[in-house]
Amino acid sequence: MAVEFDRSIIGQVFDETSFPPVTKEEILEFAAALGEKNPLYTDEAKAAKGPYGSLIAPPTLVTKLRAKKFTPEHLPKFGKVGFDGGRDLEIHAPIRPGDVLTMASTIHDIYEKTGRTGSMYFIVIRNEVTNQKGEKVAVIDHRIMQR
Amino acid sequence: MSTLYFEDIEEGDELPAIDLFLSKDQVRQYARTAGMYVPRFTDDEGARAEGLPGMIAPGVMSMGLLAGMISDWNQAAEIKRIGTTFRSPVLPDRNIHLRGAVTQKIEADHTAECDIWLENDDGERWVVGTATVALPTKA
Repeated sequence: MAVEFDRSIIGQVFDETSFPPVTKEEILEFAAALGEKNPLYTDEAKAAKGPYGSLIAPPTLVTKLRAKKFTPEHLPKFGKVGFDGGRDLEIHAPIRPGDVLTMASTIHDIYEKTGRTGSMYFIVIRNEVTNQKGEKVAVIDHRIMQR
Repeated sequence: MSTLYFEDIEEGDELPAIDLFLSKDQVRQYARTAGMYVPRFTDDEGARAEGLPGMIAPGVMSMGLLAGMISDWNQAAEIKRIGTTFRSPVLPDRNIHLRGAVTQKIEADHTAECDIWLENDDGERWVVGTATVALPTKA
């Protein structure tokens, strides 16, 4: 059974969050936790001589950014249980130590899928990350399943 | 760790496999640095209280490990897009296997499409996805 909701909610920015400057330590710790070996993420001196001229963050570092509001206030509940369905990440610009990131969140899509076990709803939250120069850094689509 | 050019790769190439023992400590370390230090990612009892079989690894950690596999394959590959579906919770304290293959080469922008996945010892694909990587060219 389809859940009725006001589709005008889709595409509206419901949260904007700014983060403290990205630190070198944060990049190194994140890379270490993933066992990264690429000197671009792990070795400041080598990375300085590389194509970016400095250490950069592993591409998935943006997934640790947390919006103040994860979903809009008036988003209806589509099911009893929620699961993390997955992420789609577009990378546009590298993140360097000192970058100040801002993230704007919208509901990108809501759709229903019917399978053997009944209906499931997918809520796609889109986070657009920009840096202090106004450059687009990344777009993260977060798929939440509810049933 | 090597540098591969667009000309060096072919459709069907497998990315060098990574087999690792995913320890609970590594998951906790990730959870700490990623600001996700909550029971489901840090201790078995807390995770069971949430109805999980035991502590699990964050989905985004699996995504990060798969991105790391791409970076190990070719340190010059620039990930433009990576998408992963979390099909099943990833349980630590066991072996996981990271796998990938080049499915398409696109001449126009020197990118390659890859299939990527994480499987357990029984070959069950817990996380599946795709990535688009830009490669340097010799031309």
